[in-house]
Amino acid sequence: MINFIQFTITRAFLAIVTLLIVCFIVFSLMELVPGTCAERYLAFKNTQGSQITFEDIEAEKVRLGLDKPFFYRYGKWVSDIVVRQDFGDSCILRMNINDLLSGRFVLSLTICLVALIFSYLIAIPVGIISATTKYVSLDQSLKFISYLGIALPNFLVALCIMLFMTVYFGDTMTGLFSQEYENAPWSAAKLKDFLGRAWLPIFVLGWNATAFALQTVRALMLDENDKLYVMAARARGISGMSLLWRYPAKHSLGPVINSIGFDLNRIFSALPVVALILILTEAGALLIEALARSNDQQLAGAIIFLLTATIVFVNFITDVLLAIMDPRIRKGVMGGS
Amino acid sequence: MEVSSKKKEAYYTATQMQLVRTRFFGNKSAMIAGSILLFMIVCSLFSGFLSPYDPTIAGRDKDYENGAPQIPMFWDENGFSPRPFLHTLSKYRGADTNFRWEYKIDTSKRRYVYFFVKGWEYKYFNYSVNLPGKALDFKIPGITFDTHLFGVKEGGIHLFGTDKAGKDLFSRTLSAIYISLAVGTVGVFISFVLSLIIGGISGYYGGWIDSLLQMFTDAIRTVPPIPLFMCLAAFAPLEWSSELRFFFISCLLGLISWPTLARRVRTHLLSERSQEYILAAQMCGASSTHIIIRHLLPSFTSYIIVDLVISFPYMLLSETALSFIGLGLREPVNSLGVLLQNATKADVLLNYQWYFIPVFFLVVLILTFVYVGDGLRDAADPHKTSNK
Repeated sequence: MINFIQFTITRAFLAIVTLLIVCFIVFSLMELVPGTCAERYLAFKNTQGSQITFEDIEAEKVRLGLDKPFFYRYGKWVSDIVVRQDFGDSCILRMNINDLLSGRFVLSLTICLVALIFSYLIAIPVGIISATTKYVSLDQSLKFISYLGIALPNFLVALCIMLFMTVYFGDTMTGLFSQEYENAPWSAAKLKDFLGRAWLPIFVLGWNATAFALQTVRALMLDENDKLYVMAARARGISGMSLLWRYPAKHSLGPVINSIGFDLNRIFSALPVVALILILTEAGALLIEALARSNDQQLAGAIIFLLTATIVFVNFITDVLLAIMDPRIRKGVMGGS
Repeated sequence: MEVSSKKKEAYYTATQMQLVRTRFFGNKSAMIAGSILLFMIVCSLFSGFLSPYDPTIAGRDKDYENGAPQIPMFWDENGFSPRPFLHTLSKYRGADTNFRWEYKIDTSKRRYVYFFVKGWEYKYFNYSVNLPGKALDFKIPGITFDTHLFGVKEGGIHLFGTDKAGKDLFSRTLSAIYISLAVGTVGVFISFVLSLIIGGISGYYGGWIDSLLQMFTDAIRTVPPIPLFMCLAAFAPLEWSSELRFFFISCLLGLISWPTLARRVRTHLLSERSQEYILAAQMCGASSTHIIIRHLLPSFTSYIIVDLVISFPYMLLSETALSFIGLGLREPVNSLGVLLQNATKADVLLNYQWYFIPVFFLVVLILTFVYVGDGLRDAADPHKTSNK
């Protein structure tokens, strides 16, 4: 047990270090974006009609703490996030980022996680079937579908569905809510409306994830299926489903759990592009807005930080989960107990 | 008996490359994919010759904007013609068409398709580098051609239709495939060099250097790539020339996608560096660089080639996604992503579905790459020899 706690603490420590490195990269990127927050704020004021001078910019820089050295600001940014859960203000939208993101990030996360769960629910049984089937043509066609999942990236699937929808139904089915619910508080009717529309982004995001998971499961199953212990089990007269679930499937599940973090990474990666096409109003769309249109470094940094933190957290959870579930790793961690 | 022993001898004396080639040629799906891929690459290389119009705004057909695809035909109600032809179109707008321009087909007037016609000029081997500073600029004029595979004498021929500005989608698709492949190649090359250096150092030296580099690599791998791309691509100022932008985007693709390959290089080196032949080389006093380049790298060339082919489609996809959201390449440079930019508009979805033709080519391009990569991986896998 002591060993297990030690293992968990080491993993947690490593996760935090990774997060700090990522923070540093993200923060440096934000710094490199041409122009500072102060200039942008005053440029905004300028459009409102007030005259601004060079001194105003300097004063604004001091107010925002931009005159301090790089590492001081990095430390402040990180500590603000960790201690006060405060991401600061958005440069362009002039709003606190927490208020801006609170509901939307949870919404994005929910959509992504549901897509991830669905993709695994489909990929694990289908992958096992594809790897163990006697029919070459079934395996080949499943393989083709999973390759198509790579070749047809999410945004193209979204586009094709939209094309289909507009041609046959005359409605693009975009957005997460109907107009009347857009700004309404959550209620049963809003939830129903949301579910009626959320299936499209979930399907689109899950499409690629399923293809990748399918390939992982299939490759792992093929690997395990050829091993001697499976042959030995077969020689003992175990066959069919009981053989599959007790031996190769159980063993290939470990690396699959490990790949959850990277699958989530992939889904997050696709989120902004899909959000742009389906006109979603959640964090992915805000990220595009922040990067492509307005160069809002504070907001972009906060979103990328949140996405990465989620992935690091999921990776940590899967590591610990694996140590509990997989006897081989458990033995390594707990020292033979 | 004699034949089989000869076969066996050929098998045992074959070099690694010969074995890989034989196994690859035996893989039917990979061979089909490979020939389609080769055909597309050749087509994109000769895009100037194959496309009847200039893919940029210079080649626009202002009498045929948002025009539907025109398929050359051999017969109509007036009979058969051995030379393919198109019907003549006339523009018409009135109250009955809701004041939109529409095209009326006049079936009585035929426009014949001719082959090897003279048209717009295109150049090969024409490079001009425009770096900051006068001394670094240089220009190779190249060779100019103006012959095209097909064309019509009057009016236009648009196999895939035209876009909003009247640019020929067939010509644009061909040049887009070329540009996308070029971006991918540059990106793959940069990520290849980076991963060799980083993975090589990490795997060869091991110890704390390895731990440090691995931590860094893992941290980069946790950041979702497309948001990271977007973040970096946002640096490119709008006033950059399209060539500079092209180069910048390709470099970005390379700079972000190295971690996966670097990890594989490292894993392989870690297992390989404790082998005896490395020890022997070290005993002879060979330097680290010499050992890495002369002994370690050749030991997994085939893996690297396979990995490069496998990573190629992801490069293409990232470029397409980036251009699609407007952060990657921009007009006048064509790429598959640029072509799809306008396709989300409801107007296009409802009325001009031929904007989606490039999607088909993108999908085929990536599918063939994936199949070829898969075939190469199977062929290069030494554990598969027992099947032969």
